[in-house]
Amino acid sequence: MSAVQQRGSLTQVELAGVTGLSPATVSNIVKELTGAGVLTTSPTSRSGRRAQQVALARNLGLVAGIHFGSRSLRVTVSDVAQRVVADQRMPLPPDHRADAGLERASLLLTELVDSVDATLAEVLAVGVGVPAPVDPESGRIVSVGVLRGWDGVSVPEVLERRLGVPVRVDNDSNLGALAELRHGAARGRRHVAYLKVSHGVGSGLIVDGRVFHGRTGAAGEFGHITIDDNGPICRCGNRGCLDALIGAPALLRMLESSHGHLTLADVISRAQEGDPGCRRVISDAGRLLAVAAANTCNLFDPELVVVGGRLAEAGPILLDTFRNVLAQRTLPSTAGPVEVVVSELGTAAEVRGALALALDHAGIAESMAVAG
Amino acid sequence: MSPTHDTVPVLSVRGVSRNYGAVRALVDVDLDIHPHEVVAIVGDIGAGKSTLARVMSGALAPDSGRIERDGVPVSLTSTRAAREHGIAAVFQDLGLCENLDVVQNLFLGQEIRRGGMLDERQMERRAWEVLSQLAARVPSVRAPVRALSGGQRQAVAVARSLVGNPRVVVLDEPLASLGISQTAEVLNMVERLRESGLGVVMISHSMVDVQAVADRIVVLRLGRINGDFDAQHASYEDLIAAITGITPTGRLPRPNRPAAL
Repeated sequence: MSAVQQRGSLTQVELAGVTGLSPATVSNIVKELTGAGVLTTSPTSRSGRRAQQVALARNLGLVAGIHFGSRSLRVTVSDVAQRVVADQRMPLPPDHRADAGLERASLLLTELVDSVDATLAEVLAVGVGVPAPVDPESGRIVSVGVLRGWDGVSVPEVLERRLGVPVRVDNDSNLGALAELRHGAARGRRHVAYLKVSHGVGSGLIVDGRVFHGRTGAAGEFGHITIDDNGPICRCGNRGCLDALIGAPALLRMLESSHGHLTLADVISRAQEGDPGCRRVISDAGRLLAVAAANTCNLFDPELVVVGGRLAEAGPILLDTFRNVLAQRTLPSTAGPVEVVVSELGTAAEVRGALALALDHAGIAESMAVAG
Repeated sequence: MSPTHDTVPVLSVRGVSRNYGAVRALVDVDLDIHPHEVVAIVGDIGAGKSTLARVMSGALAPDSGRIERDGVPVSLTSTRAAREHGIAAVFQDLGLCENLDVVQNLFLGQEIRRGGMLDERQMERRAWEVLSQLAARVPSVRAPVRALSGGQRQAVAVARSLVGNPRVVVLDEPLASLGISQTAEVLNMVERLRESGLGVVMISHSMVDVQAVADRIVVLRLGRINGDFDAQHASYEDLIAAITGITPTGRLPRPNRPAAL
């Protein structure tokens, strides 16, 4: 059951492979659960042979994912089989505030649910990602100054009252890591570092196949690793944090005197068109990113580094430098340098992770236990 | 304002004034719009926002002052003349015909003809082109406009302004009376216009939406420019102060012209 839940939909043969049960047992369980209305099956083909595609039934309800970025909001609604039924993204102002942001997210979610002829009552759970450390139990933002206007805000308290739906919150990079683990570049891996390089810089650490949160949820605050002890003052109050050096405001400031007012998307597209200044800024960011990533790798020795976020769209401009410097700075190993890949889910990783979080807490397993 | 621009402004307003009887709607207004830039114009009711939009798009002649395109003075005697100079406008009423379909609305008064006949195929292809440039979600270009949502109508109106390949698009209150997901679509559309290199002028009084997409925010107060802010750094409080006239903060010195008070 949780195998189907985690992967959205898969064939009976794959289900047998994943669960280690015999095909006959799987077939019996699927038949029973389909009869109980928990699963639906549809004919499909796999390597040219007929097969049964197994998915959770839509009438079990919907889940929603909300991702607050530094400059954007994205809301996605899916059924419990993780088929996306509605999705909308919108830009947000710099330093957006919690009250206005949560209000917009609630309205947008309500409208999206309405657009698929459903009601909020059918939404089983909402997962929310925010670009700041979050206590995963209480859903309270534990940082001071990292996300201005959101310090100490309890996101579930506000949203649950507003929507009447259970709400779970996590750091957006943690959710990006979770999404890559479940559906993306890190499928089947146990120890993974997911780096999100967008307007802000963050990371999610997967240890033994699970997101590692630490004491208060601040684990993997990669953006606040000190790179330059005499560097500029960061939002968090420290000096020379990675985020203060390669976050979007820092990159754009470097280009302001030569290129005027740009957005992060402008910098990436100009770099791809061959603009030397923009290429240089991105490749230098790759170097500093690698220095920080090397320290992280030396500390917990992941089998895979996934690079995500907007800046990953720059491709080799960022990654060539990143791979070289990372290989140089990590402890040489007989196993060779750590594998580095680009995120498979791209900028959708965080919101997909929010959906996964919602699904994990939607109580599908409980309703299944009743039905089964 | 950003400190340097390596480009000539695509559209400049120079010393424009306009009175309605005793009401001074615009007083000595200077404004530059650069390519690849979203300039938001905000202000209280009666601050002169819509008058400025109408002057920039040829719908209203100023009493004094001039408009320049790429540094050359032009005479905008009508919205059609403005369109020929590459300045297109979308006003609040959108001006769409409910009973006509999307293609017919896009090309109304600017039909593509071949050998004296309407070239429907060419118009339909161009319609999909401009709509996809906006990433607009319109169900069908042959659907009558009355069947579309508010956000989709806005997209059709903006698409119509793009048919003539303008350099500047002026949007007068594009978010008025839209729901949140339609607002999201229009804001994404403004980002797309900017990405395709256009200068965009957006008139709005929703500060959150303006700050989300603008490069610069220009505040009008009682017909005068009362602040020209870099959207990246301007706080909500700065903007409100400039709109309500609490402090002169954010006012940029303009070397050529003594501040008229």
